[in-house]
Amino acid sequence: MSSRILPEFELLMPQSVPETVEILAKYKDQAAVMAGGTDLLVLMKAGVKVPYVVGLSEVSGLDYLIYDPVEGLRIGAMATLAQIVDNENVKKNYTALWQSACVNGTPQTRNKATVVGNILRASPAGDCCAAVLALGGTVILQGTAGKREVNIDNFWTGYRQTARQAFEFAVEYKIPAKVGKSAFKRMTRADQDLSKLNAAVSLDMAGNVCQGARLAMGCVAPTLVRMKKAEEIIKGKEITEAVLKDVEAAVKADVTPIDDVRSSAWYRKEVAGVLVKRTIEKALA
Amino acid sequence: MKTRSITLYVNGEAYSLNVAVNRTLLQVLREDLGMPETKYGCGTGECGACTVVVDGGKSILACLTLAATMDGAKITTAAGLEKDGKLNPIQEAFISEHAVQCGYCTPGMVMKSVSILAKNPKPTEEEIRRELEGNICRCTGYVKIVQAIQKASEVMASTR
Repeated sequence: MSSRILPEFELLMPQSVPETVEILAKYKDQAAVMAGGTDLLVLMKAGVKVPYVVGLSEVSGLDYLIYDPVEGLRIGAMATLAQIVDNENVKKNYTALWQSACVNGTPQTRNKATVVGNILRASPAGDCCAAVLALGGTVILQGTAGKREVNIDNFWTGYRQTARQAFEFAVEYKIPAKVGKSAFKRMTRADQDLSKLNAAVSLDMAGNVCQGARLAMGCVAPTLVRMKKAEEIIKGKEITEAVLKDVEAAVKADVTPIDDVRSSAWYRKEVAGVLVKRTIEKALA
Repeated sequence: MKTRSITLYVNGEAYSLNVAVNRTLLQVLREDLGMPETKYGCGTGECGACTVVVDGGKSILACLTLAATMDGAKITTAAGLEKDGKLNPIQEAFISEHAVQCGYCTPGMVMKSVSILAKNPKPTEEEIRRELEGNICRCTGYVKIVQAIQKASEVMASTR
């Protein structure tokens, strides 16, 4: 185990999506799919054993980022965070995702790290994960028998666990066209750290009245979670100081964070509601 | 496969190599090709010392890149910036602005600067600072590094 030397493994370099699917059907959980590698290689250097690495860099046609005002946003498996940062449509229509990509990692890692990879990693601290949970959408999984879509609300099943079967290849993440006003905020000790707490919100506004909201939080449970009680509180109401106070209290009551290297359970619980409140204010600003 | 035959284009030269698949681009540059200018810092994507530029403008970390996945890539390292014995304006500016102390982060800083100016020839101070967030200098600070990039930007604009 060394940050200098990678353990031995077999590298597979498929040239197409069908070939990738075949490889996963054959090796299943013995294989790890590598998009940018900025996360997988760090894990492997830290001792995670992966017998087969499936590199995607030679599979063409997966680095798309396609926005359509009716269909929404389609993010291919190889679309990088740098592509998100540089995309005006994402900045304007999916602000939470744009804001999360801008602070996720560093410019160098963003040139290789992918949105789909961030979702598949299923870390409860994933910045883009908070944004996609707030914006909603589906992960498209392809197996030998065909494709299926899994709603992001049901995709993370536990700490670093997802609904993806070992033989399925996550080819795309799709976000609906109508997502409302959104924003992302996070708390870190220093700028490029992993988040100690993050939040993203998406608000369906009619004038000053919030018709519906998706409030997502990271680092407060084994997976990213929606703050459903707070969503109920805000729904159908004008967003006033009093409503935001109730949201803050509901979030605080709803989160179950832990102590770890980046923060304490007590602190996270104290500030979680404040962070959601400020993220709502940021979305409306 | 445990090894792969690839061609890397480093600083304009083609190298045909048979690399073990678990070797990083950084190991291949430093150990197999004997090009020690790209530095090993943390090995986990935090420090930026191993920054190289691919395909003319994109900065990546050589420590988090498998060499075997880079077949056909055009890689520029800090040693590939001089032309006909003359340093690149960015290198000149790092010298004239005293943006080097111990020098260990410098090749990564210079390569990141190459990618900043390739994308945005006239960056503001804030844009430079944001783009440099993945490059850590542990000697001193970033003021002179930022000034060097601004100086290089001016020189490159006037000679364009």
